[in-house]
Amino acid sequence: MRFLLKRLSFYAVAFLVAATFNFMIPRLLPGNPADIMLANSGGMIAPEARDALMATFGFIDAPLHEQYFAYLGSIFTWDFGLSIKFYPMPVADVLTQALPWTLFLTGAALLIAFSTGTLLGILAAWRRGQLTDVIASPTALALQSVPAVVVALCGLYFLSVRNRVFPTSYAYDPKLDPAFSWEFAASVAYHGFLPVVTLSVVLVGGYLITMRNNMIGQLGEDYLAMAEAKGLSDARVRYAYAARNALLPSVTALALSFGALFGGSLITEVVFNYPGVGNLLYLGIVGRDFPLIQGQLLIMTLAMLLANLAVDLAYVFLDPRLKRA
Amino acid sequence: MPDLLRTFLRNRKAAIGLAIVLAYVVVALVAPLIAPFDPIARVGRPHQAPSAEHWLGTTRMGRDVFSQLIWGTRTSLMVGIVAGLIVTAIGTAIGITAAYFGGLVDNVLNFFTNVVLVLPQLPLLLVLAAFLGQVGPWAIALIIGLTSWAWGARVTRAQAMSLKTRDFIQASAMIGEPTWRMILVEMLPNLLSIIGFNFIGSVIFTIITEATLEFLGLGSPLALSWGTMLYNAQTASAIMVGAWWEVLAPCAAIVLIGVGLSLMNFGVDEIANPRMRTLGNVAKALRIEKRLLRQRMQEANQ
Repeated sequence: MRFLLKRLSFYAVAFLVAATFNFMIPRLLPGNPADIMLANSGGMIAPEARDALMATFGFIDAPLHEQYFAYLGSIFTWDFGLSIKFYPMPVADVLTQALPWTLFLTGAALLIAFSTGTLLGILAAWRRGQLTDVIASPTALALQSVPAVVVALCGLYFLSVRNRVFPTSYAYDPKLDPAFSWEFAASVAYHGFLPVVTLSVVLVGGYLITMRNNMIGQLGEDYLAMAEAKGLSDARVRYAYAARNALLPSVTALALSFGALFGGSLITEVVFNYPGVGNLLYLGIVGRDFPLIQGQLLIMTLAMLLANLAVDLAYVFLDPRLKRA
Repeated sequence: MPDLLRTFLRNRKAAIGLAIVLAYVVVALVAPLIAPFDPIARVGRPHQAPSAEHWLGTTRMGRDVFSQLIWGTRTSLMVGIVAGLIVTAIGTAIGITAAYFGGLVDNVLNFFTNVVLVLPQLPLLLVLAAFLGQVGPWAIALIIGLTSWAWGARVTRAQAMSLKTRDFIQASAMIGEPTWRMILVEMLPNLLSIIGFNFIGSVIFTIITEATLEFLGLGSPLALSWGTMLYNAQTASAIMVGAWWEVLAPCAAIVLIGVGLSLMNFGVDEIANPRMRTLGNVAKALRIEKRLLRQRMQEANQ
């Protein structure tokens, strides 16, 4: 319990730091978003709207600390102002629409990559120097250094353009209406296949290498020799004994990989024109939609912190020593 | 130092990786000499497929893809190395300082590092680059360098903490060696493998991230780099019109340097931690031992 409280207060402070950072970026850099937007709008926004625009960014006519508290307040009311690109939709609504797609994409990819990578890592370590290891480990190593852009573009070219196996964009057939039907689910799976595979391919190498290295660290331990001496089956020693203990550092590595997961999902969404929050951030940046960008960054930070918290919970579950403390 | 190099080269992975990376370095150095065309001049028809004249075809602007690739090597390597140096310098300084001084210093630095680690890095980088306007390769190197040190600081700190408990460090402290000597002469050389690991990893990360930022159109469109090539290919819908060479050439260049660098890193890891080896040598030794045993038993039977 104390462990979790400690982590919770850490995340609270981390969130505050991120929010502050978020608040500072537009204020520290040359120019201000409203003027840039006015210049870019080419007369679409009336100059009279400038004050209102400034207010949406918290550039209210007040001392800096009051602006800061007004901005922090907007986090709790979930009121990020109106989007400019999707005017007159509120930023909160735009984000809510995109969020499920990103959760689907990242969740599925994480599940596939982590389970495949971990399992192969266990096998590669167990049969070190044999076929599984000789093939899987260098492949994982190579995959680890392949950027998401490359995987996504290659997938798009070979499987969507050259051979029209998969669609090139959208999360489902635009002719269908979202509904709980087999047809819709099939369309979602069909459109999501390449993005999910892309993201999994990008992530799987790291998990494999981490698990293999952790597993090798366990191999010489006495308790494994003891388990084998008791006559337990090979699989039981491998999974219930060695892998269970090797999993702990792997779970820590999982938390560290969320940055890559989010970044990778952003790129994948852009390349496949997938309607998630990453694509939205990209559209917001290209269209200089500052309210959207600011709201977006807060949501992404919050998601990162929640994901880290989930890993902490898993850690407590996997390591009974923490429960006792 | 020659000893260290020999150990490094004896590792097959490290040697192959080093060869790949050196090939890139050579290409980057002699780019003006070996590029067949001016990378930004119109030298052919738009979207020409690879041919004897244009080995990797041409772009929509009729520019030679192969020449662009060669010049891009220069930019990508420079950005990677500069950012890698910044990342390693900051990460090592913070990691060692935290571990060596401990106490409050460690608490503050470690907390700061962990906060940076849980922030969504790529989105923040995107926004930063967007606010700065279309930034050149050097600015990208600086941004990445200044924001990506947290992982390195964390692993360096962990390694330095365990190093601090060793007898020789404690003995040097007891003799009364000054702090700078303790850090620079006693600790730093023993952390070389983790620092090298951090540096190579950061170079990979930077090359990937630079290409990503530029692909998304956040870099300067005038820069000659792999990321800008991808961006131009994307805006020219190269994929859709089937100009695969325009997309696959920079992709292949990025993947190959990434593989080369991570092979080097794998080598560093195996040298620093012999248990990680793929065990080719150990397996061979076991086989020889078995054969000797069998021979001896046969001799004994006769």
